[in-house]
Amino acid sequence: MTTHSSFLPSYDFAGFEQYIKLMHNDRWLVASTNLGIFGGLFILICLAIGIVLAIFLDQRIRQEGFIRTVYLYPMALSMIVTGVVWKWLLNPSLGLEKLMHDWGWTSFSFDWLVNSQMVVYTLVIAAVWQASGFVMALFLAGLRGIDPAIISAARVDGAGLPTIYLRIVLPALRPVYFSAVMVLAHIAIKSFDLVTAMTAGGPGYASDLPALFMYSTTFTRGQMGLGAASAMLMLGAVLALLVPYLYSELREKRHA
Amino acid sequence: MHDTNTRPFSISRVAIYATLIVAMLVYLIPVVVMLLNSFKTTGDIRAGNLLALPTTWTLEGWSKAWSSACTGVQCEGVHGFFWNSFRMTVPAVLISTILGSFNGYVLSKWSFRGSNLFFSLLLFGCFIPFQVIILPMAFTLGKLGLANTLTGLVLVHVIYGVAFTTLFFRNYYVSVPDALIKAARLDGAGFFTIFFRILIPLSTPIFMVCLIWQFTQIWNDFLFGVVFASGHGQPITVAINNLVNTSTGVKEYNVDMAAAMIAALPTLLVYIVAGKYFIRGLTAGSVKG
Amino acid sequence: MAQLQLKDIRKTYKNSPEETLKGINIEIESGEFLILVGPSGCGKSTLMNSIAGLESLSGGSISINGRDISQVPPKDRDIAMVFQSYALYPTMSVRDNIAFGLKIRRQPRDQINAEVSRVASMLQIEPLLDKKPSQLSGGQQQRVAMGRALARRPKIYLFDEPLSNLDAKLRVEMRTEIKRLHQQLNTTIVYVTHDQIEAMTLADRIAVIKDGELLQLGTPKEVYETPANQFVASFIGSPAMSFIPITVTETDQGLAARVTGANRETLRLPLPQGLSPYLGRQITLGIRPEHISQPEAARIEHPLVTRAELTIEVTEPTGPDVIALIRLNDVAVHCRLNPEHPARAGEPTQLMFDMARTVYFDPDTGQRIG
Repeated sequence: MTTHSSFLPSYDFAGFEQYIKLMHNDRWLVASTNLGIFGGLFILICLAIGIVLAIFLDQRIRQEGFIRTVYLYPMALSMIVTGVVWKWLLNPSLGLEKLMHDWGWTSFSFDWLVNSQMVVYTLVIAAVWQASGFVMALFLAGLRGIDPAIISAARVDGAGLPTIYLRIVLPALRPVYFSAVMVLAHIAIKSFDLVTAMTAGGPGYASDLPALFMYSTTFTRGQMGLGAASAMLMLGAVLALLVPYLYSELREKRHA
Repeated sequence: MHDTNTRPFSISRVAIYATLIVAMLVYLIPVVVMLLNSFKTTGDIRAGNLLALPTTWTLEGWSKAWSSACTGVQCEGVHGFFWNSFRMTVPAVLISTILGSFNGYVLSKWSFRGSNLFFSLLLFGCFIPFQVIILPMAFTLGKLGLANTLTGLVLVHVIYGVAFTTLFFRNYYVSVPDALIKAARLDGAGFFTIFFRILIPLSTPIFMVCLIWQFTQIWNDFLFGVVFASGHGQPITVAINNLVNTSTGVKEYNVDMAAAMIAALPTLLVYIVAGKYFIRGLTAGSVKG
Repeated sequence: MAQLQLKDIRKTYKNSPEETLKGINIEIESGEFLILVGPSGCGKSTLMNSIAGLESLSGGSISINGRDISQVPPKDRDIAMVFQSYALYPTMSVRDNIAFGLKIRRQPRDQINAEVSRVASMLQIEPLLDKKPSQLSGGQQQRVAMGRALARRPKIYLFDEPLSNLDAKLRVEMRTEIKRLHQQLNTTIVYVTHDQIEAMTLADRIAVIKDGELLQLGTPKEVYETPANQFVASFIGSPAMSFIPITVTETDQGLAARVTGANRETLRLPLPQGLSPYLGRQITLGIRPEHISQPEAARIEHPLVTRAELTIEVTEPTGPDVIALIRLNDVAVHCRLNPEHPARAGEPTQLMFDMARTVYFDPDTGQRIG
């Protein structure tokens, strides 16, 4: 607790005590591990879905504008709304499981929402639903920005469509991966509303995330020092992503 | 890549369309389910499944969500919180957009000593996790006597939003040729005349992008609302969360769904009406610099 | 109508170790058409912006009619500028673009209207007045940009590469138009270009700038015929002047140099007596294409004119002339021949060297020595 000390005259400098406490806090460890699983899967799946949909949509599709609009609308919703809907869809006694049972597939079981081993993956499902359309939009814009002459050249050289995409188009979109990963990672790190609405960190604290941990230690349990320490670690994580990004951005601009 | 139109009924073409349509269903179903079930009775929900049509269509869920559902301790529905969100969002959006356009103008056209550093800090500001600024912000609001007030909440959103709006406008104005500014200066226009007579008339698209982006961001915010507002002053997102997670009595899912729809409608409406600008904002907000 | 004096203009940008302008001195007479020419990055645009007041000086002063305006803000300098990109205000109609400067200066409405119609008729853009810039072609935008400058009747006009965004045909048309306007209005114009043909055709005087230094200031004829140094010589003229290393020797017919052709033909080029201090030394001969032509009876008797048979490497017919490439002392040299003269690639032909009009440079300093 160093940065905020000027706001709190009575605070004594406590060294790294809070950070050490944090490192031995089981709930924090669960939350950080969850962030790793949630963030990693969220980013990878969003990228995969986004890229495939963008490439498919780039094939002179009828009603492309309408389809694009549908893919992207979840991004206009609050994470709270997303959380509420998916909490309900994945609720074993009301949602998907019940639907399957009603349709005659009685052995179907999907209880991830209440299974402490699997609950973090339900967060991934909801977050991917919300953000993958956005990744699609980014990549579609990137695809449209590629000089068609390059593709013509590759075709003249005898390359087939899959080869052109794998060897020429996708490698040319490097800046798009970069910004997509940046934005997705950022969403993952500060994810608070989604987990609050969907699982509130439960069962127990099986689906806790650092953002929720920070909030509940600080405000529900009043452990401000611990909360601040966790916030600083989150900042550190963002900085680790951001500094190389900003550096390359600004350097490129200087060269231009 | 476009030779596909010469053989429009190939298998790969069918597969592409099939994938796209399935994906469309996956994106649509949650909101369709939400909408369908908001028109059901509680008994209907328990009896049928989530995709079944309501046996009787009723607005019961909506009216209860709006005026009498329990959000924590009080049971007055979400209408008060809905208007709270408006009272918070509208000024915050307007102020942050106006400040952003002015900042963007200065940063792009009147670079000063340290303006590059300033710009880097702004970029940084866009990426700071909300959680990091909560504590210092809470202390500052306390000192200003604005803790738990609507004004305080608006202030927080303006401060956090200005980084984004400034970036939007700065990047937009950078593409306006400097020669235009020089021409106006030689024509005798000063700092403000150039801004109001030359740049503002050019800025309609970026104003749209900025207003829509800010509206969506601020309306959808949860963290600032839950931390910096309390009781009757909370925005709709906080109220929805309280409503859904209130565990007293029988769960009325139709009310939950209707309430969630009420919270989602303004931004959905904006998206449907001005989706073009929304998408531009999203891409501009991610491909910064 | 104003006289403009640039005195020891210096400019150093922060973050830059080198001076962009290294002390430029030019006096521009009232009604004079001065062209600043030089390669990109030479500082000519910086100089232009400094005159307009859009950039501050690091040293020196700018005066109009004897009054120092170095510290005067651009709007009070009474200078108008035409930009390379035209810089028309995109949201305003053509009429409002032209009137903007007058409105800012709060001139009466009927006076503004009168001024707009005067300018519009002078440039023949009356039908365009209610259009937006985006509805105009490049040439029309160019006219409007000039109209905006003319409307204020400023003391001095600045043109910053105004024709470089036009296609070749339109460029020639607008060049004539600008020249006609200048003759009609007799205003003081400073005009930046990197196109040496524009410089030659439009200018009363040309200022050649390189690396922030004024290399030569003179009429187009002076700059073309007696370039101050090798850079100016190479920059002005197309095809460019060729530079041949030669050694000055003494013969019984006076000074001369021996050069070798592509097929080891040797020829003796007579040199002017003024080069006697360089006897026995190597110098650079600067020779323009028109200095080597088909033999002409009227000129051949001149003591500094000689003829030789040389092998042509390539011919490039341009219509009025044929540009032929020969090789002297291993340097490619252009000749300008009459299309009637028999010249075929790979074959020898008779050529006349007019050494009375060639120029000579010190190979070390690049300065002209004769």
